[in-house]
Amino acid sequence: MKILVAVKRVVDANVKIRVKADNSGVELTNAKMAINPFCEIAVEEAIRIKEKGQADEVIVVSIGDKACQEQIRTSLALGADRGIHVEAEDGVQPLAVAKILKALIDKEGIGLVLLGKQSIDSDNNQVAQMLAALGNMPQGTFACAVELTDGKVKVTREIDGGEQTVLLSLPAVISSDLRLNEPRYASLPNIMKAKKKPIDTVTPADLGVNTASGLKIIAVEPPPARSAGVKVADVDELISKLKTEAKVI
Amino acid sequence: MNPVHADILERLSELLGADRVKTDPDSLANYGKDWTRANDPRPTAIVFPGSIDEVQAIVRLANEYACALVPSGGRTGLSGGAVACQGEIVVSFERMNKILDFDPVDRQVICQPGVVTEVLQNFAEEQQLFYPVDFASSGSSQIGGNVATNAGGIKVIRYGLTRDWVVGMKVVTGSGELLDLNHGLIKNATGYDLRHLFIGSEGTLGLIVELTLKLTTPPKDPMVLVLAVDAMESAMDVLRSFQSRLPLTAFEFFSEKALRHVLAEKGLQRPCETVGEFYALIEFENVSEHTLDQAMEAFEYCMEQGWALDGTLSQSSAQARDLWRLREDISETIARFTPYKNDISVRVSRVPAFLREVDAIVSSRYPDFEIIWFGHIGDGNVHLNILKPDALDKAVFFKQCAEVSVEIFECVERFGGSVSAEHGVGLLKKPFLHYSRSAGEIACMKALKQVFDPRGVMNPGKIFD
Repeated sequence: MKILVAVKRVVDANVKIRVKADNSGVELTNAKMAINPFCEIAVEEAIRIKEKGQADEVIVVSIGDKACQEQIRTSLALGADRGIHVEAEDGVQPLAVAKILKALIDKEGIGLVLLGKQSIDSDNNQVAQMLAALGNMPQGTFACAVELTDGKVKVTREIDGGEQTVLLSLPAVISSDLRLNEPRYASLPNIMKAKKKPIDTVTPADLGVNTASGLKIIAVEPPPARSAGVKVADVDELISKLKTEAKVI
Repeated sequence: MNPVHADILERLSELLGADRVKTDPDSLANYGKDWTRANDPRPTAIVFPGSIDEVQAIVRLANEYACALVPSGGRTGLSGGAVACQGEIVVSFERMNKILDFDPVDRQVICQPGVVTEVLQNFAEEQQLFYPVDFASSGSSQIGGNVATNAGGIKVIRYGLTRDWVVGMKVVTGSGELLDLNHGLIKNATGYDLRHLFIGSEGTLGLIVELTLKLTTPPKDPMVLVLAVDAMESAMDVLRSFQSRLPLTAFEFFSEKALRHVLAEKGLQRPCETVGEFYALIEFENVSEHTLDQAMEAFEYCMEQGWALDGTLSQSSAQARDLWRLREDISETIARFTPYKNDISVRVSRVPAFLREVDAIVSSRYPDFEIIWFGHIGDGNVHLNILKPDALDKAVFFKQCAEVSVEIFECVERFGGSVSAEHGVGLLKKPFLHYSRSAGEIACMKALKQVFDPRGVMNPGKIFD
């Protein structure tokens, strides 16, 4: 069985981001970039499945400009077998991403798709669901445990107030939640070996997908700055402020 | 309370207001100590000046009443330099915690001594600049204390010590005189640079009341490598291999024993599958697209030579942070074993031989003791920690350690090293100062103290008697 994992190149989760002066987006010049943390978890899960002998090949795909090959290389260093770089302008929208992945599933004969539940830059949380619909495949979203048995996959999902376990037939789409696993470090010997692993480059057009989007970002605004705290003289003043100003008691 | 103290306290209350002269037991216990526990705090009072004038007035009163003063910052010291255990008056700089001025052309910041190191670091970041002196206690230590102890930390290999960032300071000497030293000049060849006497003086010459510090360009995209190495000698070869190829910002080491404690306590991941006797943590700036290739080249070379066994490279800043924790969480992790700690340095090239010799000294005398090594090997600074065996009584353990201390310091002396690399002398290292400083040097230091502090009111009993 082949596993397809998609990874997105996003701004590093620990970078303090700034909104561009013209509010057109986030300032990314010189910003540190990394694999979207949820995608990294999906890569780790795919590698673990392969290490258990339950998959033959882990293919990692990233969609974006040439720089996203860095994130493909990192995934290869972690243990993926080969990469596919779908060369496109940045900002491909979820539906087009799902269509590209669908085309790759058909082309490669994929048995299981592992995705991050959402990317930390646009926070859409749409691709897994759209892909499942497009491919008429069962989906296990927000996975915190994945287990392959007898040609099926059991997915434990994080839902409000608890967990839900679903059994999916293959091929299936799984999106990872934070607690699915703890991704490993890329070892230096594996980083060196990853340089020799193949990465194919294709375009959305090669896959018959039009990435033009009907969605336009009008403005990006930073969250309002927190107002400064105040010091109170005594408990009475605190209680009175909690009553009259904060209105919490 | 003796009558002299009662008098001076009254005068101090008149000067500062009663609420800024504290004598309650909690304050005395809290402000009278640092992170050391060897001496019980016993100050007479804690005072909280808010201005240079007030500091000067306090020092004059101390001279008038022949009352000793102990300067107090974030109290994170590890040698007892800020401990008040003989009825002194503690001068806390907690209220003098403002950043006063910043000049983007000079890239200099003027601040009061009570500014917390991390506050200064954050301020620099807001100006898109960088204050590079950094260590585990930066969240509570104060800049005045950093200067008074010439604090070092984890980035010394690249950025030097606190000394290298002080371009000006105002001090109130032990006789109450205000000196304005070097006022931000980069070049100033006009005789003795008194500023450098006050840096590292541990409050024995005067009180630092204002600082001008320079800031620098922040490092670009710091990447962290952790390598497993087969032996200490190899770590030095690894250092040389990486240093010649990359702009290093840190080169730290820790032993497998240290790592095991951190992994068990903190639930962190092993950095790599292969177990080494030691690990090197290397941080470098990812300055260009070739930097990573050079790092890989250095690693390949170290593998070929058999120095490095395995390793990992951070793929995100979260990973870089987690890898740093393997080194930075060691102190906290082993704290529950009531460790005996020593902070010593030798020349970088002599570290492996020195470590071997100290290991042999401790294990021949006390084969049951677990020795944990870690430190800033890139600058020759190693932290020796001996863990107390569970069954052994604390007093007995420290007595045995004290005995072995002498042998360790004799070894330091043979290697031409320092008995205190970055923790100062204070009270704890005072008996051992002569292993690193000659009688002639100590006599000169005492003569200098006499010049700045003729009545001996400034932190007496610290560094030397």
